[in-house]
Amino acid sequence: MKPRKDLITIGSLSDEEINTILDSATAMKDIFTKSVKKVPALKGKSVLTLFYEPSTRTRSSFEVAAHRLSADVTTFTVGTSSVVKGESVHDTIDTLMSMKMDYIIVRHKNSGIPDVIARHCKAAVINAGDGAHAHPSQAFLDAFTIREKYGTVAGKRVVIIGDILHSRVARSTSTILQRLGAQVAYMGPGPLVPLQAHTGIPRFTNWDEVFDWKPDVIYLLRVQNERIDTPFFPAGDYHQAFGVTEERLKIIDDLDLGIMHPGPVNRGVELCDAAMEYRNCLVCNQVENGIAARMSILYHLTPQTQNND
Amino acid sequence: MTDTIIKNATWAISGEKYDLSLTTCEDGKHPQLDGITLTGVERCEPAGKLPVPQGAQVIDAAGKLLLPALFDMHAKVEISGRSKRESVNRTGQAATNGGVWAMLVMPNRGFCFDSAPNLDSFRDAVEQRSSAEMYAAGCITLGMGGEQQAPYNTLAARGVRILSDAEHVPANLLTLHRVMKYVAELDMVLAIRGDVPELTRNTYMHPGATSYRLGLHGTPACAEEIGIETLLRLAADAGARIHIQTVSTAEGVDIIRRAKAAGQKVTAEVALHHLLFTHEDVGNYNTNYKVLPPLRERRDCEALIAGVKDGTIDCIVSDHTPCIPFAKKQDFITAPHGMAVLDHFLPALYTHLVKPSLLTWAELVRACSTAPCGIVKPVDEYDEPRVAPLMLFDPSACGTVQAAQLACGTQNSPFIGGELCGSVILPLQ
Repeated sequence: MKPRKDLITIGSLSDEEINTILDSATAMKDIFTKSVKKVPALKGKSVLTLFYEPSTRTRSSFEVAAHRLSADVTTFTVGTSSVVKGESVHDTIDTLMSMKMDYIIVRHKNSGIPDVIARHCKAAVINAGDGAHAHPSQAFLDAFTIREKYGTVAGKRVVIIGDILHSRVARSTSTILQRLGAQVAYMGPGPLVPLQAHTGIPRFTNWDEVFDWKPDVIYLLRVQNERIDTPFFPAGDYHQAFGVTEERLKIIDDLDLGIMHPGPVNRGVELCDAAMEYRNCLVCNQVENGIAARMSILYHLTPQTQNND
Repeated sequence: MTDTIIKNATWAISGEKYDLSLTTCEDGKHPQLDGITLTGVERCEPAGKLPVPQGAQVIDAAGKLLLPALFDMHAKVEISGRSKRESVNRTGQAATNGGVWAMLVMPNRGFCFDSAPNLDSFRDAVEQRSSAEMYAAGCITLGMGGEQQAPYNTLAARGVRILSDAEHVPANLLTLHRVMKYVAELDMVLAIRGDVPELTRNTYMHPGATSYRLGLHGTPACAEEIGIETLLRLAADAGARIHIQTVSTAEGVDIIRRAKAAGQKVTAEVALHHLLFTHEDVGNYNTNYKVLPPLRERRDCEALIAGVKDGTIDCIVSDHTPCIPFAKKQDFITAPHGMAVLDHFLPALYTHLVKPSLLTWAELVRACSTAPCGIVKPVDEYDEPRVAPLMLFDPSACGTVQAAQLACGTQNSPFIGGELCGSVILPLQ
């Protein structure tokens, strides 16, 4: 397998790479059960987290992953940096590269920024979410969670529900699941679900169609009010129309479906309280698996800084 | 007194061969072919019929095409970070390379034609540094801000005939309606594109599979079409002559076709890139393909070409927008709009439209020379109409476009690395 410098999208990976990263995530997860939860794989390497958007889960998940691989982690805080003075991304990266970083984990509100950074520097760049474009580490942890729960991803049917239009999670997770042989459908409010002609993915607009499709997993996206500039939803009825209500939870329980969510959950919007306690709710598994998947991703990439130092 | 003879030149429009004798005398009567004045020519005879005087310089133009030089009625000249004179100089050189003798320059941040001093400083730069003629389109609103009207009487007194805020469209319909009444009174032309800003805010490309894959919000075609309909209604009411800029959608062409059939005073243009490229060319965030309005679908390209052929779309323009390399290296959302195509305007028109028989030479000359000249009506300092000079075009000169060849001073050309045919000899003498 050719060494890979960056992880920007799932689409850029070969099937072999996807499977390798998933397989080694299993090995990484085994480390969590040991008394010393650390391996020296990235000892002496510098990892930078560069988050231009607020994030708790993804950032801390990457930081824990890097620590468990024995890397040195630096956190770049955008709010107190020159970025607020209007510094361009290129100039920020030049500054940071002078500090000889090996890995840069980046999140930005603009689609395409990690790609620009990756082409501009020798460090391995990991896309931790860019606009509505991609969130590949989320895709890996989702695929890993389904594989762990059901033994395989191939043949499973997953419905992703919510604001598909603004969602990088929907794009990346649907791509990896399809590559692994699963079937994916989208459901959500009309203006927020792109046409099937554009996505190649079946498009539903209500729960009846979802249940008729006989899914194995219901994947709810977060309602991201911070990303929506003008009102998209009819006032107040999102939970009734598109959320997992207590009535729907009964059907989901009867059908023995799994529930997933990338977090953080808006309780009473995407999921009712009871859904968080549901026996097949995989949300906490996703968080735990996120660390294993991100360790595996870091382990898999090869910064060009290694060859040139 | 004739001292230069051009032999065996092929008149591009008819394909017939002619011999020409050139004259430097400006006010003499010039012969015509197909209704086009042969500027700078004293006599024009079928090949072999023109006697060669003793001592005359003879240029053998066998295999080369003779046609009027092009008039580009939509270009920008400012290159940020460069001096204005340098920008004018480079753009003028690029125009000459691309077969363009004159252009209508849109206002932008550096050259904001909203006052007499701004207009004068531009004209000084053009006079001193440009190899191509450049005419300014006056601003519709001060600073292209969309609110306060520019001083139209002052601009008109300085010979400005076209008003435009470039790609900006005033969102306030009342402002637009009033502008159109001034335009009608002053016998000017309002050049503007169709847009509904509320529908296109925070959008970056045509909605489709590519925009979905890249996570970029789509610019709906209906925004442009509603915009064009609105402009036509306002102009009809105000009695104003309008020129619809950079039409990019099939339905937009139909709307203009219907308006023309109903007798409305409207002309329209399409940018070269909207005839050649689609939204799929954006590929993996290729910022050179970020333009405004965005590249659409193949069926739109086809409808636009059909619109040029039947005269619904009067002109093909370059929409030349030089951007410094750094600006285009940024991410797709941050990078500015625009392509720099002037350097290869005629070779690209020839290679991608005439050579594959999508357009005839007659249609190209109409859309890129006579029609835009007829809309802008350029005049010289004595208020006499200016007419396009002739140029020779060698269609057999093919080669790969190198970034270093671009005179325009920037590299945001979609043609770099591709093959183009044709080289331009302008001016003839």
